Amino acid sequence: MSGGRRAWGWAAALREGSTTPWLAWPESGAEADPFADGLPGAQQLALLRRLNLAAEAQGRTVPRATADRVLAAGVSGRGRSDLPLVGDDGTRRFGPRPVDPDALPDDELLRVASALIADDVAATAGQPEPPRSLVERALGARRPWVRSFVVVGIQRRAEAVSEGLAEQGHRPGGRRPTAYLLADDLGAVLAEAWTARCFDQGGPSWVEFLRGSATFGHLPPRADLLRMARSAVERYGAGRVVVVLDTDALAAELGVRSLRAAPRLGANAADLVRRVGQPLGLLVAREDRPGLLRASLAPRLDGLGGPVPTVPARHAGWLSTQAERVHHDLAAADYPVLGDLDRLLPGPLPAEPVVPVDAEVLALALGLLLDPVTARPAKEGTR
Amino acid sequence: MSERVLLHVGTPKTGTSYLQDVLFQNRSRLLKQGISYPADRFDDHFLAALDLMRLRWGGLEREAVGAWDRLAERVREHDGTSIVSHEIFATASRTQVERALRSLGHVPGSDEGTEVHLVISVRDLVRQVPAEWQENVKHRATFRYARFLDLIRDPERNHRVGAWFWGVQEIPDILDRWGATIPPERVHVVTVPPPGGDRDLLWQRFSTAFGLDDLDLELGTKRANPSLGVPESALLRRINRAAARDLPPVQYRPLVRELLAHQTLSKRKKSPRLSLPPEHYPWVAELTEEWIAELEAKGYDVVGDLADLRGTEPSAENWADPDHPSERQVAQAGVVAIRALLVEAAERQAEAEQLRVKLEDARRDLLRARTPRLLRSMEWTVRRLESSEQGRKALDVYRVARGRSSRSA
Repeated sequence: MSGGRRAWGWAAALREGSTTPWLAWPESGAEADPFADGLPGAQQLALLRRLNLAAEAQGRTVPRATADRVLAAGVSGRGRSDLPLVGDDGTRRFGPRPVDPDALPDDELLRVASALIADDVAATAGQPEPPRSLVERALGARRPWVRSFVVVGIQRRAEAVSEGLAEQGHRPGGRRPTAYLLADDLGAVLAEAWTARCFDQGGPSWVEFLRGSATFGHLPPRADLLRMARSAVERYGAGRVVVVLDTDALAAELGVRSLRAAPRLGANAADLVRRVGQPLGLLVAREDRPGLLRASLAPRLDGLGGPVPTVPARHAGWLSTQAERVHHDLAAADYPVLGDLDRLLPGPLPAEPVVPVDAEVLALALGLLLDPVTARPAKEGTR
Repeated sequence: MSERVLLHVGTPKTGTSYLQDVLFQNRSRLLKQGISYPADRFDDHFLAALDLMRLRWGGLEREAVGAWDRLAERVREHDGTSIVSHEIFATASRTQVERALRSLGHVPGSDEGTEVHLVISVRDLVRQVPAEWQENVKHRATFRYARFLDLIRDPERNHRVGAWFWGVQEIPDILDRWGATIPPERVHVVTVPPPGGDRDLLWQRFSTAFGLDDLDLELGTKRANPSLGVPESALLRRINRAAARDLPPVQYRPLVRELLAHQTLSKRKKSPRLSLPPEHYPWVAELTEEWIAELEAKGYDVVGDLADLRGTEPSAENWADPDHPSERQVAQAGVVAIRALLVEAAERQAEAEQLRVKLEDARRDLLRARTPRLLRSMEWTVRRLESSEQGRKALDVYRVARGRSSRSA
C-alpha cells in the first residue's frame, strides 16, 4: 500500500464530507487514486475537514465545488505552504516537515480561508446596487427646511449616521453647516478606529495596533478626537463644531427619531475583515478595497464576532492619560457638547480583555465559506 | 506564442539585482536580437512575483494587482525567447508554480507548448545565512543574529522567518516545486563562484545559462544589493528598534534601506564582515552535502560547479558577532550615518527653499495672469515714470491733479 494513495483516500473522503481526522484514517482499505496533479497541502485538507464539521453541525453538506475550491486554494501571506501529511509516504527529504493537519494552529487554516473569502469579495466587484424604490427616493429627497450639518468624528459611526440621515432627506452639507463630532469613551473610539482600519487597510492586529499606538505615545489619527475637532474648526469655522456624546440628543436636535448605527462587528469579525483585506489588496485596486469589504462583509458580519475589542489592562495608564488629555483639551476649547463630556473617560478595564481569538475568527470564516458573499445563503449541498 | 521562456526563479543574494539590471537596461538591444525581457520598469517582474504569490511587501503590493497576468501575456505575445527573472519566485507554492507555468504556455509532459527552461542561481549557505539575516535587517527586522539562527534551525519552520528562509534557499525543494514537470536538462543551476575569484565569472555563467554569450550588450550598470559589515548591521538593527515604528514603508525604504544601508553604510568596507558563526558550520556543511548529492542525482544542467556550494569554513579567529559588536566601530558607523542624514536634510532644506521660491514666482504669475490688462498697463506706466526724474515730476502733477479732481468729485 502506498502512503500516497492512503492520503489521496483521505482527501477523497473529505471531498465527500468526511470528518475523520487524518491520524484516525485507516491504515489500509481506504486508498484512492489521485484526483488532481498533487496532493493538497495539510492546511487545505485541515480546512476542508473543519468545513465539513461546521456543515454537519448545521445539518448540511459542503458542496463539491466548494470542497474543490478549498483543496485547490493558495495560502495567504508569508509562512509555510505545501505542508505534507505526517505518515504520508515519507519519501520527501527536503521541504517543510510533514505535519498532522488536525494539529495545525487555526491561524494556518485562516491563511487559506481568508484567501478564498478574498476571492469571493473580489468577485462581487462591479455588481450593480439594487435600484432605489420610488418611496425610498421620495424619502431621500432633500428637505429645504433642514438645517445645514455634517457629521464627523468616529469614522464608521459618522458614515452610518450620515447615510441614514440622507435617506430621510437630511443630507449632510449645505451652507455654513454645523459639524457634529461623534465621540465616545476612548477605549470604544480606539476599537472603532481599528475596525475602520481593518476595512480600509488590513493592517496590524488589535494587540499590535494598541502596542504601536501606546509605544508612539500618541493616538492613531482615526482615534484622535482633538485633531478631528481642530480640523472641523478649520473647515467649518469656530463655533460650528459640536461634540456629541449622546446620539439621542443629536437625533432630537436634527429632528429625526433615531440615528442609524454602524454595523456592529465584534473583535473576531473585525479581525476576519482585516485578514481578508490583506489578500484582497492584491486582487483589486487599492481604492476599491474598502468599499468592497464594507458592501460584502459588513452586512454578513453585523452582530457577529463576540464583543467589541477592549484595551488590555497593561495599557490602562496610557489610555487613561490620553483620555484625560482629550477631555481637558475639548473642555478648554469650550466646544458645545451634546451629552456629558465625562463619557470620554474610559471606565474600569475588564481583567480579561476582549481580543480576537483565532478559533472564533475561523468559525466566522467557515460560515462565509459555506455561504459565500457571492451568493444568497446556500441551500442544502448537492452531490 | 513564445517559443522559449527562460524562467529565473532565484535565489536571493546571488547577483540577481545586477543580472536584472543588465537585462532591463538592454531590453531594446535584446529585443532586436530576438529576446524579450518584458518590463517597463525595473521592478515589473518583482511586482509580477508579488501578484502571483499574493505577497504583501510594505504597500508595494498595491501596485502589483494583475501584474503576473500582464507579464505572462507579454511573454506569450512574443514570438521568440523571453526571459522572466526574480529571486522571490523561489518561494512559490506548487499551486502557484502550476499557474505560472501554465500561463507561460508550458504543457507538462508534452513537447507542445512553450519550451520552458528553469534557471536558478545558487550560493553556498555559508554566505547565504548571514546575507539573509542582513536582508531581514534591511527590511525593518529587529531580531538579533542569534535569534535568526534559532529561527532557521527550527525544524518545524513555524516562524515566518524560518519558513521564508528555507522557501527561498532550500535548493532541492525549490527545484522540486518548480521543476516537477520540466525535464532536468532544461533546469540550469548556476553556481556563484567562491569569494576572491574572477569578478566576471558569475556574469559569464549567467550569460551562458541565458544564452547571451554572443549578444551585443551594455554591461556597465550600477544596480546591486550591497552588503554591510558587522558594526553597520548592528547599527541598522538598533536603528530599526528605535525608529522603524515611526517610519512607514514609504519613508523607511528611501531613508533607511537606500540612504543609510545601501548608499552610506555599505561603503564602509574595512569593518569586519558578517559571516556564519563557526559553530554553525558543521550542520551547514552536512546539509550542503545532502543538497549536492540530490542535485547531482537529478541530472540538472550545472553552469559552474556544485562544489561551489560547499563554501569556505569560517575562521573562529576572525569571527565578529553582530550581537556583541565593537561599540567603537558601531559609534564610527553611527557618525557616518548621522553625517549622511544631515547632508540629506540640508539638501532637502535647500530643495524646499528652491520650491518655496518657485511657488512664490508661480503665485505672482498667477496673480499677474488674473490682473486685468488695463491695470497691468497702468502699473507698467507708473514704474517707467518713476524710473526718471521727468517722469516722477509728471506723476506728481498727475497725482495733484487727480487729488483735486477727486476732492471736487
